[in-house]
Amino acid sequence: MILLIILLLPLVTGLGILFLRNACTVRIVALTSTIVNLVLTFVLMGSSPAASFSAEWTNLMGIKLALGFDGISLLMLLLTNLLFPFIILAGFKREQKQVSVLNFLILLTQAALIGVFLSQNAFLFYIFWELTLIPIYFILLLWGGENSRAVTLKFFIYTLAGSLFLLIGIIYLVQLTPGIHSTDFSVLNQLHIPAATQIWLFWVLFIAFAIKMPIFPFHTWQPNTYTMASTQGVMILGGVMTKMGIYGALRFLFPMVPQGVLYWQNIVLVMCLIGVVYASVIAFRQTNLKRLIAFSSMAHISLMAAALFIYNYYAAQGLLFQVVTHGLTVVALFYMVQLIQDKTNTLELPQMGGLKHAAPKMAILLLMIVLVSVALPLTGGFIGEFLIIIGLAKQSIWMALFGGTTMILGAIYMLYAYQRIMLGDKNISFKNTTDLVRLDYWMLIPLIAILFILGIYPQPILNLVEVSANTMQNLLTSATGIVTTMSH
Amino acid sequence: MSALIFIAIFGIIVLYLGFANNKAILAPVAIGGLLITMALSIKDWGVGSKYFHDMIMVDNFSIAFNVSMLIITTLIFLFGVNYYKRMEHHVAEQYALMIFALTGAFLMTSYSNLIMLFLGIEILSIPLYILAGGKKSSYRSNEASFKYFLLGSFSTAFFLFGIALVYGASSTFYLPEISTYIAQFNGHLPPMLMVGLLFILIGVSFKVAVAPFHFWSPDVYEGAPTLVTAFMATVVKTAGFAAFYRLLGIGLLPLPAALEKTLWVMTGLSLLVGNLAALKQSNFKRLLAYSAIVHTGFMLLAMLSQHDSAGSVLLYYTFVYSLATIPLFIIFIHMKRSAKGLEDLVIFRGLYKQKPWVAVFMTILLMSLAGLPPTSGFMAKYQVFTLAISQGYLAISIFAIIMAIIGVYYYFYVLREAFTDSDEPNPILIPFLNAALIIACGIAVVLLGLFTFTIPI
Repeated sequence: MILLIILLLPLVTGLGILFLRNACTVRIVALTSTIVNLVLTFVLMGSSPAASFSAEWTNLMGIKLALGFDGISLLMLLLTNLLFPFIILAGFKREQKQVSVLNFLILLTQAALIGVFLSQNAFLFYIFWELTLIPIYFILLLWGGENSRAVTLKFFIYTLAGSLFLLIGIIYLVQLTPGIHSTDFSVLNQLHIPAATQIWLFWVLFIAFAIKMPIFPFHTWQPNTYTMASTQGVMILGGVMTKMGIYGALRFLFPMVPQGVLYWQNIVLVMCLIGVVYASVIAFRQTNLKRLIAFSSMAHISLMAAALFIYNYYAAQGLLFQVVTHGLTVVALFYMVQLIQDKTNTLELPQMGGLKHAAPKMAILLLMIVLVSVALPLTGGFIGEFLIIIGLAKQSIWMALFGGTTMILGAIYMLYAYQRIMLGDKNISFKNTTDLVRLDYWMLIPLIAILFILGIYPQPILNLVEVSANTMQNLLTSATGIVTTMSH
Repeated sequence: MSALIFIAIFGIIVLYLGFANNKAILAPVAIGGLLITMALSIKDWGVGSKYFHDMIMVDNFSIAFNVSMLIITTLIFLFGVNYYKRMEHHVAEQYALMIFALTGAFLMTSYSNLIMLFLGIEILSIPLYILAGGKKSSYRSNEASFKYFLLGSFSTAFFLFGIALVYGASSTFYLPEISTYIAQFNGHLPPMLMVGLLFILIGVSFKVAVAPFHFWSPDVYEGAPTLVTAFMATVVKTAGFAAFYRLLGIGLLPLPAALEKTLWVMTGLSLLVGNLAALKQSNFKRLLAYSAIVHTGFMLLAMLSQHDSAGSVLLYYTFVYSLATIPLFIIFIHMKRSAKGLEDLVIFRGLYKQKPWVAVFMTILLMSLAGLPPTSGFMAKYQVFTLAISQGYLAISIFAIIMAIIGVYYYFYVLREAFTDSDEPNPILIPFLNAALIIACGIAVVLLGLFTFTIPI
C-alpha cells in the first residue's frame, strides 16, 4: 500500500496545486509533497522488502497494476525522491509564468518516474515510460529558452522513436510467453529465447535506453535540449531521466536477452568509450557554460554505460554509486549555472571572469561542486568513478585508460571553466552583483554535504548498493551461465 | 432488422420535418431517432438472424458496429446543433441525408450477399456526394462534391464489374458460397475469378481510402463542410472497414497469395504515402485526411493478420479513432471562425493562452491519434501490433512502428502551434454544447484507454 501512496502522492498533490492561485503557496505545497515522499521512501527502506501492490486492471491479456521493488528500483526510487525536493526548491522566488501548471507538470513527471521504477510488469513500465515524456515535453516547450519549439520537437520525436521500438520488443516478448500471455517481468525473465533471436531483439530493446541515456551516437538530441531547457527541466532530464535508461537496460536487457548482450558487448562498450572521449573533448571546446555541462554529463553517463555493459562486481557497484552521485552533482551544477546566469546575464564563458570578487561564497561552493564533478578523492564523485575504472581494468587495461579520460579531461575542462568564470580581475560588469542568499544555501549546502559525506564515508550507500549490485551480479552470472552451457 | 427498417423510414420523417420551418426541433428529433434505433439494435444482441433470403445477416458483429456508428452520429448531430445555426435553408435535408447514409452503412455491416454490399455502398455514397457539396456558393465545396462523385462512380463501376466477373465464375452472389467455391481451387484461381476479386477489393479500398486509391480523400475532406468531413472521417470509415472485414472474414479468407500480397503492399503504401504527405500539409483538414489514410493502414494491418479477434480490435480502433477525431474538428471549426475562415495550422496559435482547458483536451486527443499511452489510441495500436506480431508479421509491424513515429511529428506539430502565442489574438468563442462535447470525448478517450475492453464479436 505504501508503494501506491508513494506513486499517487505527487499526482494528487499536482492536481490539487492546479487550483491554487498564489505562487508561493503552490511551491510550498509542492515542496512539502516531495519531502513527504522522501520520508516515505526512507520508511519503505526500513520496512520489509515484501511490500508490493497488485490489482486487476483490464480484461486484456492479464495486464495488472503491479507495483513492487528490488534493490535497484529502490536505489532509483531513492534518487528520484531525493532530487525532486531540490528541483522544486530551485524554482523558489523566481519569476516564472504559470507557477501552478509548472509545478503540476514537475510533480506529474515525478509520479511517472516513480511508476517506471516500481512497475512489475513490462506493460505498466511502458505506460509510465511514455508518460514521463508528456510533462517534460511541456516543461521544455513552455518554460524553455530560445528556440525551444524546434528543439523540443526533436527531443520528443527522438525519444519516442526509441520507445516505440521498445514497445515492439515488449509485444514480441509477451507473445513468447507460454499459455495465457503475461507481461510480468518475472515471467518474461524466465523466457529462454533462441540466441539468433536475442541478437536482433537486443537492438530493438536497446535503442530506447541508448537514446534515453544517451550513448554515442544516439546523443544528438541532448546538447541542444539541455542548453535550451529551463533549470528545473534540465535537472529532471539530467538528474533522473538519464537514469531511466540505465534502469531500463538493467530491467530488460540483462535478464531477457543475456546472449544478445554478450554478443554485442564489445561494440556497445566501444560506443560508450567513444562517447566518453568524444563528449569530453567537445566539452572542452564549448564556450557556452550550459552546453559544456551538458557534454560533461554525457561523458559521465557514457562511462556509466560502459560500466553497465562490462558487468563485473566492481563496475556494477561503481555504477550504482555513481547513479546517485551523478544525479546530485548534476542538480547542483545546473543550479549554479542558473545563479551564474542571474548574476552575469550571460552563459558565454569568454564574457565572464572575476565573479569571485563580487560573490566569494558562491566561488567556494562552486569550487566544491566542480571538485565533486571531476571526481577528486574524498568526494562522492571519486568513489563511483574509481570503482567503475577498476571494473573496466578487470576487463582490459585499454578500456580503463579510455574510461579514465573522463577524470583527466573532466578536470581540465571543468577547472578551466571555473577559472574563466570566477578568477581573473575582469569584474567591471558585475559591480552590483550580490552574493548567495539564504535560499541558495538551503539548496546547495545539503547537496554538497551529501556529496562530501558520501565521499568520506561511502559505506551507507555501498551497503544499499551492495544488495543491488548483488542482484545485478546474480542476473549476470545466470546470464553467463546460460551462455556457457549453450556453448558447450 | 427492425433497426434497419426504422432508420430508413425515420430518414424520410426527418426530411419532411423540414416543412415545419423550425430548425430547433430538428436535432432533438434526429438524435431521438438515433437513440431509438440504438435500442432496437441492442435488442437483437446475441440473437443472430437472417433476412431477405439470407441476403442480410444481422449478428453481433454488425450490431456492435451499428451501435458504434450510431453513437458517433449522435455526437456529430450534437455538433450540428451549433454548426447549422447560421444556415437558413435546407437544414432538415442535411440531417436526413446523414441518416440515409447511415442506413447504407447498416447494410454494409450486415450483408452476406455482394448485391447487398453494392446497395449499401451506393446508399451510403449518394447522400455523401450531395453533402460534400453542401456549401453551394463555395467553389471548393462544389469541387469536392464533383470530384467525389466522379471518382466514386468510377470505383463503383470497378466494383460492379468485379461482382459480375465473380458471378460469372461462381454463379452466385452469396459470400459463403463464393468462399466454398474459392476453396476448391487450393489457391490456384482461374483468371476471371482472380480479376473479379481484385476489382471488388479495389472498389472497397476506394471507399475506405487505402493508398493508392486515396487521391480523392484530401480534396474532398478539404472542400466539404467541416461537419460532413467529420462524418466521412468517422462513420463512413467505420462502415467501410466493417464491410471490408466482413468481405474478408466470411468470404475470402484465406486469401489467394497474389491478392494477399497486393493488400500487404496497399497497407504499406497507405502508411508511407499518408505519412509523407501529412508531413507537408499546412491545411488542418488535409492533414487529418492524410492521417486518416495512415490509420487506414493500421487497421488493414489488424485485418490482414487474419485472427478471430481482428473484428473486435477493428471495432475498438474505429471507435476510439472517431471519438478523438470529432472533437478535433469541433475545435478546428471554432479556431477557423476566430481566424476568419483560414484553415492553416497557424490558426491554432494562441489557443492555450485563451482557452487553456481546450488546449489540454486537444493534447489528449492528439496523443490518442498519435498512439501515446495512457490514451485509448495507444491501446488500439497496442492491440493491432499484438495481433500482427502474434501472427508472425514482425517486419511490417516494425515498419508500421516507424510510420507511427513519423505520425507523432505532425500531430505534435499541430499541438505545438496550439501552445504557441499568437501575434494577433482573436477571441475564441466555444458555445456550451460544443465545449461539453470536447470534454466528454476527451474524458472518454482517456477512460477507454485506462479501462480497455474487448467485446467478443
